[in-house]
Amino acid sequence: VIGKLIIETIASAIGTIGFSVLFGIPRKLYINCALIGAVGWLMYKGALLLGTGMATAVFLAAVVIVLSSRFTAVYRQCPATVFLIAGIFPLVPGAQIYWAAYYLVTNQFDNALSSGFTALKVMIAIVLGIVFVFEIPYKVFAIARPRKKAK
Amino acid sequence: LENNESTPSSLRDEGRVLEIAMEAGHILLQNGAEISRVEETMDRICKHYGVESGDFFVLSNGIFTTGGGRREGSYARVRHIPVTGARLDKVVAVNQLSREISQGRYEDIESAAEKLREINEMPEEKNWRQIVASGMGSGFFCVLAGGGLLDCTAAFITGILLYVYVLYVGKPHLNKIVRNIFGGMLVVLLCLGCYLTGLGHNLSHMISGAIMPLVPGVAFTNGIRDIADGDYISGAVRMLDAILVFVSIAIGVGVMFSIYNGLTGGIML
Repeated sequence: VIGKLIIETIASAIGTIGFSVLFGIPRKLYINCALIGAVGWLMYKGALLLGTGMATAVFLAAVVIVLSSRFTAVYRQCPATVFLIAGIFPLVPGAQIYWAAYYLVTNQFDNALSSGFTALKVMIAIVLGIVFVFEIPYKVFAIARPRKKAK
Repeated sequence: LENNESTPSSLRDEGRVLEIAMEAGHILLQNGAEISRVEETMDRICKHYGVESGDFFVLSNGIFTTGGGRREGSYARVRHIPVTGARLDKVVAVNQLSREISQGRYEDIESAAEKLREINEMPEEKNWRQIVASGMGSGFFCVLAGGGLLDCTAAFITGILLYVYVLYVGKPHLNKIVRNIFGGMLVVLLCLGCYLTGLGHNLSHMISGAIMPLVPGVAFTNGIRDIADGDYISGAVRMLDAILVFVSIAIGVGVMFSIYNGLTGGIML
């Protein structure tokens, strides 16, 4: 299990870099995005291993991703959205969207509905994670501010 | 609007400041910044150059600016900003510029304007890089979906071909809905092709990874943030944009499966 977790975390990091390129994120920030993608996935899998439901795991992962995005944003003096958009990608329920569409056209409506709602639940978990963590005042994150040289 | 010679110099300056603020706002909005950031940046630029009367109303696809009052010259401008792709590097650059302006490093307005022009002309990442990145994203996210080595190779190839389609056919010629429906269909078609020729064993994992490059991450994330900030109109528009894309992808996937099922006459997966 641990080995698989490590492989997936690395994959999450590299995949996140891939999407960073597509969104035109500056190259010097790739490494930060990759880290956030990896941390988010680790949290998600860790929560699942501890026995939480999928939506809870996604929520916890989203919280971790937004927190680290905001810290990184202060540290690199960049908008937090940049890191957030890339880092949240591993949590997007691509598989559920696919299954919902697949069941729908094969007339398995019960399954289609349940996949669709799972996707929706995951989306809402992401939304809640983002909304709550952005309510934390900026001051908390200011400790990550890079130290300036003496004037 | 070019008859600046007849206006007193102070009016011209205020107009120029508002113009530059508007240009900065334009770049931010067009490339995927939140509404509140756009407003804040425009405000910061105006205040720094001593224009107190600037008022901005920012929507997801337009900026309305007015300025003027008893002591400052009048200025009003509406700019329509079509929703296009996101270039977060430009958002980062304008953000940096606005910080430097408030630190007083651009006391001459024209140098700030020059810098904005530079930012706006920042070259896009080369096409082949984007294509490879799309393959990388697809392949590695297939690992997250639970795919094995062969599945991921298939997703990698699909991701590459998908982005070739997006860059050369989808973006220049098709609207968003049609582009994403075809995109979803293409993903399923390519993955089915790989699956039937024996490259990869798990179709669902392959497809889950390979549709990721179509996912509207920027619209979705910004929509949430705008709604959380209370910018309901813009947030709702962006969410609608994201949902439209999600649904289009799903339709594309569904349509391709029905075609395949129709051809083979049954469920086989």
